[in-house]
Amino acid sequence: MESVTQKMDKEYRNTEDVQTDHILSKRLSKIIQTRIETDQEALDALKQLSTFYTENSLQARRNLRSQIEKRSLDINQQFLASFSEVKESFDIVYKDVAEMNDSIKDMTKRLHNSKIQTKQLLNISSQLQQERDHNISEQKILDALIGRFQLSPEDISVFQGSKKEFLMTNDIFAVLDKVQGIHDECKILMQYGLQTLALDIMEQMTLYQESALEKLYRWTQDHCRNVENSDLTDLITQAMARLQDRPVLFRYVIDEYNVCRRSKVTEDFINALTRGGPSGNPAPIEMRAHDSQIYVTDMLVWLNKAIVMEKHNLQLLMKHCDKVDVDNMVREALTVICEGLCQPLKMRVEKILNVPSQAPVLYSIVNLLRYYRKCISKVVNEGLVRETLANLQSLCENNFFGTLQQQVANKLVKVEAPPRDLSPTLAVTNLLAVLRDMLSTANMSEGREEDMAKITTCIMDPLLRAVNEQAARLPPTDMAVYMLNCIYEIYTCLELFEFMEERLERLAAQSDAQIDTLTSEQVSSLVANLNVGPIYTILQERNHGPLSELPGMEPSNLRSFLEKMCHLTTHPDALLLQQTNLLSSSKHKRVVQKRAFEVLLAIYRQVHVAVHDPSNGYDSPQLIFDKAPEELEKALL
Amino acid sequence: MSAGPYNYSYIFKYIIIGDMGVGKSCLLHQFTEKKFMADCPHTIGVEFGTRIIEVSGQKIKLQIWDTAGQERFRAVTRSYYRGAAGALMVYDITRRSTYNHLSSWLTDTRNLTNPSTVIFLIGNKCDLEGQRDVTYEEASKFAEENGLMFVEASAKTGDNVEEAFLETAKKIYQSIQDGRLDLNAAESGVQHKPSQPGRNNLSSDQQASKDNCAC
Repeated sequence: MESVTQKMDKEYRNTEDVQTDHILSKRLSKIIQTRIETDQEALDALKQLSTFYTENSLQARRNLRSQIEKRSLDINQQFLASFSEVKESFDIVYKDVAEMNDSIKDMTKRLHNSKIQTKQLLNISSQLQQERDHNISEQKILDALIGRFQLSPEDISVFQGSKKEFLMTNDIFAVLDKVQGIHDECKILMQYGLQTLALDIMEQMTLYQESALEKLYRWTQDHCRNVENSDLTDLITQAMARLQDRPVLFRYVIDEYNVCRRSKVTEDFINALTRGGPSGNPAPIEMRAHDSQIYVTDMLVWLNKAIVMEKHNLQLLMKHCDKVDVDNMVREALTVICEGLCQPLKMRVEKILNVPSQAPVLYSIVNLLRYYRKCISKVVNEGLVRETLANLQSLCENNFFGTLQQQVANKLVKVEAPPRDLSPTLAVTNLLAVLRDMLSTANMSEGREEDMAKITTCIMDPLLRAVNEQAARLPPTDMAVYMLNCIYEIYTCLELFEFMEERLERLAAQSDAQIDTLTSEQVSSLVANLNVGPIYTILQERNHGPLSELPGMEPSNLRSFLEKMCHLTTHPDALLLQQTNLLSSSKHKRVVQKRAFEVLLAIYRQVHVAVHDPSNGYDSPQLIFDKAPEELEKALL
Repeated sequence: MSAGPYNYSYIFKYIIIGDMGVGKSCLLHQFTEKKFMADCPHTIGVEFGTRIIEVSGQKIKLQIWDTAGQERFRAVTRSYYRGAAGALMVYDITRRSTYNHLSSWLTDTRNLTNPSTVIFLIGNKCDLEGQRDVTYEEASKFAEENGLMFVEASAKTGDNVEEAFLETAKKIYQSIQDGRLDLNAAESGVQHKPSQPGRNNLSSDQQASKDNCAC
């Protein structure tokens, strides 16, 4: 600025020097040229001047300047005052604006700050929002997971029950299924890599399962004995089906069941024996203890029925069990349950056997025992039951055979002399009647072949010995006849039955021997009666001359032999031994007779030949023997 | 019998005789059951045993009558001699008296049986060597003199028991083969299996009558 001003001053001076005249002129001209009328300012100024310059006086003119200056000063002062007011106002405004600015700045700053802060907040909130969304979805997943992999409180209450009581319902099985389902599904979880979770859940489910099964076990153990109660059957059978996964618990339940049923069925048996049914109908079994057959039958029938019922109940109990060997279980359980029955039965049967009874009664008891043993063994064939029944059977069998032997021995205790008619003595016929009865019964019983053989031995051996003893005291002929009669009686008795071939063979052989003896006696008697002894002896001799010359071989003598033979043809029994006539078997009699006659005929034939032999010197053989041997044979045999 | 009652071609009848207590029943039991029967009771009358044996490829059923040794049963037992094809005559080597009675047993046998009956002498209880009362040689000489077959046996140990029964059967079978034994004779003691006791044969009864006449 300085430099500019200096420059301008220099220029001015230069021009002044040069153009002083010129500037002056110019100014003058300018003033002259100025047209005051057009100069508004000037006009205004004048106008203004007119207001205070009222009088055109020297004074006035001298004062004018100061007056104007004064006036200007006033105005300026006025101006200044006004402006100072304005200024003050402006100052206030300024101050306000400055304050405002400050405030705004502050606000801005704060805004900025809050903006910064808000951003963080926003970030946080949006993050939170995201988390929230995430969590919601996780929660959904978890809910689904829990829904799927956890039990509902209701479920849990089903098997945990209230504190005091556990109420058994079918729901427990649904829950158990669920638990098992969850347990199984955990394997899927495992496959998806959720080992820990899966294992935890599995463990938890296992715990639940154990706890539920434990409850189930307690309940079943308490209630299993009532399996036939239709209200409980379903629950119990299902519970058993569940428990089979826990063999130990299952075993315990079965054991408990067995113990309960054992005492129950034993009690029932004792009641049936001593008290009978309700209000004495049916009557107590022991009421008829005096009739051992009925007594034993009643007991065995009751037992058979009860055991079958027990089997039925056991099968019911394990109806739904498919993982255990039910048949085996049932068998084992029955063995235990029936144990209690053995002692009462054994005592009673033994008591019966201690009282002397007739062999047939004992035999029917043997058969009853055998039959029911067979029936019962189809249901339970182990342990004490089997042993007891087997023992009782063999005890009874021994008792029977012992009694039978005793009975036979009693009947044969004294050797009776055979009666005059040589028929079997009363003891023999009695024993044969016993034998027939026993065999008839045995024929229809189990194991009859063995029984029949034993019974037959039991009776026959002593009987045959007795018959031999009796016969040994008789003369040979009587002996043979008595033996034959007895053997015949025995034979006809045994013939009716099976499995007697060996005995019959023996009897037949014995018979044959006796028939030989008797025949021989009969022949001797006939020979003596017909007086052919000497004739026969002579015939047998050799080196005798003509027979007609020998004493005893006279035609009359021979003739009388033929006459006696002829007499026999009309009266064949006439010369039979008295004993031969006593033979009970007409067949035996016929055989003896026939064979004796055959001997006579043989002799006759020889004599006939001899008489017709000219060397023997008989004159007219036709007159002596007018019958051909064949004729006689035809007539006699 | 277990082999079936009809699974044989012949029936041979035997009789076992001898004094009381010589072990007749035990010999039979040993032969039929192959067991020694201790405490064997006295036989009353007769006992009976069967066994099927084989001789020269032929199945033969032995029907054996074990007789009581007691004198009081002699009448009963005599009936059984008649039909015997083989007679086992037993004595006890530890009791001389049982040996001494042999001749009377032999007489009975000869009288009551037919001539073709095979008689086999058995000296039983040969296990009791220490108590021997009859020497082998003596008995052997007696057997030879009387045309008997002879063996010492033990029903207790079973020694020679089987042999005695089988040898007898062989001898009988040989007689049949030689034709010395008439199969149709009732007293032969031999039956063809299918034939029923056909005793109405004339010759047999002649034999019987001869016996009777002889007595």
